[in-house]
Amino acid sequence: MPSVNTRAFFSKTGRAKYISHLDLSTVMIRAMKRTKLPIWQTEGFNPRTYVTFMLPLSLGQEGEHEAMDFRLTEDVPYDEVRDRLNAALPPDIRVLEITVPKDKNTDITAARYRIELPEEFCSSGGAEKLRELCGREQINVEKRTKKGSIVVDLKPLMTDVEMNGNVLSLTLPAGNSFNINPALLFEAYAAEYGEPIRRLRIVRTNIYSGNREFE
Amino acid sequence: MSENNNSMMERLDEFLLEVQKPSRYIGGETGAVIKDRSKVDIRFAFCFPDTYEIGMSHLGMKILYGLKNSVPNYWCERVFMPLPDMEEQMRARNIPLYALESLDPIKDFDFIGFTLQYEMSYTNILEMLDLAGVPVLAKDRTGLTPIVMAGGPCVCNPEPLADFFDFFAIGEGEEMNLEFMRLMEECKREGASRQEFLRRAAQIDGIYVPSLYDIDYNEDGTVKSITPKDGAPAKVRKRIIKDFDKAYAPENFVVPFSGIVHDRAVVEVLRGCIRGCRFCQAGYIYRPYREKGKETILNQTRALCENTGYDEVSLSSLSTGDYKDIEGLLSELTDYTTAEKINLSLPSLRIDRFSDEVLKKITDVRKSGLTFAPEGGTQRIRDVINKNVTEQNVMDSVKIAFEGGYTNIKLYFMLGLPTETMEDIEGIYALARAVIEQFYATEGHRGRPGVSVSLSTFIPKPFTPFEFEPQLDEATVRERQKHLRTINTDRKITISYSDYNVSLIEAVLARGDRRVGKAIYAAWKKGCKLDGWDEYFRFDKWVEAFRDCGLDMAFYANRRRSYDEVAPWSHIDMLVSREFLIEENKRAHAGVTTPNCREKCSGCGVSKCVGGEICRAIG
Repeated sequence: MPSVNTRAFFSKTGRAKYISHLDLSTVMIRAMKRTKLPIWQTEGFNPRTYVTFMLPLSLGQEGEHEAMDFRLTEDVPYDEVRDRLNAALPPDIRVLEITVPKDKNTDITAARYRIELPEEFCSSGGAEKLRELCGREQINVEKRTKKGSIVVDLKPLMTDVEMNGNVLSLTLPAGNSFNINPALLFEAYAAEYGEPIRRLRIVRTNIYSGNREFE
Repeated sequence: MSENNNSMMERLDEFLLEVQKPSRYIGGETGAVIKDRSKVDIRFAFCFPDTYEIGMSHLGMKILYGLKNSVPNYWCERVFMPLPDMEEQMRARNIPLYALESLDPIKDFDFIGFTLQYEMSYTNILEMLDLAGVPVLAKDRTGLTPIVMAGGPCVCNPEPLADFFDFFAIGEGEEMNLEFMRLMEECKREGASRQEFLRRAAQIDGIYVPSLYDIDYNEDGTVKSITPKDGAPAKVRKRIIKDFDKAYAPENFVVPFSGIVHDRAVVEVLRGCIRGCRFCQAGYIYRPYREKGKETILNQTRALCENTGYDEVSLSSLSTGDYKDIEGLLSELTDYTTAEKINLSLPSLRIDRFSDEVLKKITDVRKSGLTFAPEGGTQRIRDVINKNVTEQNVMDSVKIAFEGGYTNIKLYFMLGLPTETMEDIEGIYALARAVIEQFYATEGHRGRPGVSVSLSTFIPKPFTPFEFEPQLDEATVRERQKHLRTINTDRKITISYSDYNVSLIEAVLARGDRRVGKAIYAAWKKGCKLDGWDEYFRFDKWVEAFRDCGLDMAFYANRRRSYDEVAPWSHIDMLVSREFLIEENKRAHAGVTTPNCREKCSGCGVSKCVGGEICRAIG
C-alpha cells in the first residue's frame, strides 16, 4: 500500500505551552517512534520520520485544536492511531482526532483565540481600557518580520471580537503567508498605556479555512 | 493521573516566559514518573548540581531514578541548578527550589541527594540548598527530615563537604540507596530523631556520617588522626555490585523536550577499567572491572530505544574498546540498530583499540572529527603515567581515520604531569606534526587536515598513584603553555588550554581536608556558583575566600605529600590499597609501566576484597 497522508488534530496545553515549535517536532517524532505505528520516513541517507505542522504556535501559547500531517504506510483504524499516540505523548499533548486531510496548509486563512486576562488586571480597570482600545478606528502596531518591521493596523484584521468578563475572544488572519499573532494586540496595549499585561493566557481555539473550520 | 502542584504551576506561569528555555523548569516530559502523594512513604529529591542540560545527560541519575521509583511507595524526583535568570525570579518571588515531577518544594522531602561528579559543582550544592530553604550547614538542620546526602565519584574524598552533608554514600548505589531509604521508613514509623537515623545509617556498609568522626591536625597542618565515635566504623568501605550483569538498569529514560548535552539512549556495557593509567581517578575508584553480558546489553538497548523513541544509542563505559568480545557485541548490536535506523555511537575508545572494523560500525553523521587521547607527548612520559599507548598506535589509528574520510583529529594531552620536562612539551608538537604528515602519506586522503591539540592542566586526585604529587605551579604551567604556542608554526595545528585558575581550585577541592569546607562556604557567600562555567567562574572571589579563612591553596595543591602522611580521606576505603598506590608512584618515577588487569594482576588490593572471582573473570 502506498503511504497515505493523514491528519491529526491535537491539543497542546498546560506545561506543553513551554515546548517550542522546533522542540515540538522532536517530541512528536519520538512519540511516533514509541508507538511503533507504520509511519512513513523520508528516503535517503538519513531517513527521518516525516511530520509537518499546519500552523506554528508561539512559545507560551496554548492550542486546543492544532493540526499536523504525517503518512501511514499501512491501514490502521484511526481510533487506534489516536490511542497509541496518546499513550506515547506527554500528558499535556493530546491527540483529539485522526482524519483524512481535506484542506492544504495554504488554505488556512484565520485562527480564533481565547485570551484570558488576569483578574487583577480586569478589576483595576484594565478591561475597560482594553475594550476602549479594541473600539478604536485604528490600532497601529509594529510587526517584526524576517524582512524587517512593518506597521500594521490590527483594527480591520480583528473579527468577531467578543469580551465576556475577563475573557476576550477574537479571530485573526492566520497562515503561512500572512499571520497575525494575538500578542500584537497586547503590545499595542502596552505601547498605548505604558504598562504590559502580565500573566495573559492565550489559547488558539481553532483554525479556519475561509468561513469554515480547517479540515 | 497527574499529581501536579497546581498552585506552583500558576506561580511559575507568571514569569516562565521571561526566562531562557522555560521547558527545562517545568517537568512533564515523557518518562517522568508521577505518583500519588498519598500512597508514597519516602520522597527523594535527586539533585544534580548543574544545569538541566548537563544533569539530564548523566547516566547514573537515570539508573538511580528508575531504581528508586521501581519501589511503589518511594518517589524519586529530579532537581537541577537553575541558571541565574531563573534563580533571580525565584528569589524575587520567594519560590523555593522544587522538584520537576510534583513541583513540590524539596525542603519537605525525606532526602535531598546530590551526585558529586566534579569538584567545580560544589558551590552549586550550597546555592541549591539555600534556594530550597534548607540550612546549608548540617549542624543547623533539626528534625528527622530532610536528610542531605551525596554520592558519586567525588565522595571518595568527602572531607571538603563534610560540613554540609549528613551522610555520604561511598561506591555503587544500586543496593545502598534502597537500604538507607528503608531505614528512613523505619525511623519515621518509630518517630526516631535525626541523630538516631544517622547513628544507624553509619552501620550500613558504605555509609559515611561525617559528624561521627573527629579530625585532629599536626602542627604543620597535615591530618594527625581521624577518630570515629558512637560506634561508627574506623574505615568506610565502598560498595560494589558483585553481579553486574544483573544490576538494575533502566528500561526507560525521561526524554527531555529540548536539546540536552547527550540527547540519546545510553547503555552501560562495563564498569571499572583494566588499564591503570596513573593520573586517572576513575580507573581506580571504579574497580573491579566487570562486563555486562552481550545478551543483557542487547536487551537493554532494545528496551531503551523502544521506550524512549531515541534514534541514537551510545555505549557507555570508561573504555568500551576493552569489552572482551567487542566485535561480536558490535555486530549483534548493529544488526538491530541498522534495521531500526538507529545510530550507534561509541565514545571512550582507546587509541590501541581503534580498528577498521570498529570504525565501520560506528556511524558519525558529520564524519568530520575524531578525538584521541595520547595524554603525553613522549614515550617516556606516557610510560610514567602508564598510558600504554605508542606513537605507532596513534599513527595506525589516524591512518584508519583518514582512510575513512576523516580530516580533523583532536588530540588530548595533560600538561604538568609528574616528571614532565620541556622535551615532553615539544613531543606534543612533534606528535601533532606527525599526524599531519600521516594525513598526506595516507592513500585516499581527502580534503585538508587539521589537528587541534587540547591541553588540560594535570590535577592530582585521591586514590591514584599521583595523590602524593604536587600540582605544577602557575608560573611553570604558563611558561610551558607559552613555549608550545611559540614553537607551533603550522597553521593546520591549533592549540588550546584549559584555564589554570580553574584547575588550581579543582586541585585544592579534590585533595582538601575538612577545613577547606570553610573556604567553600566563604566563596559561596561571596557569590561563587556555576564555577564550571567560564562566564560565571570568579577566581578572585575564591582567592579572597581562602585568604579570609586563613587557608593556603598551595598547601593543598602544590605540596608533595609524603607516603607517611595521613591523607584526609584515609578513613575511606576504595578497595585499592595504599601500599599499591605507593608502589605505583615509585614505578612512575622510575618510568616503569604496569601491565593491565587482563595481562597480569597488579595486586591493587581489590581482588582480595571482593573474593577474587570477579577479577579472575577479567582475563
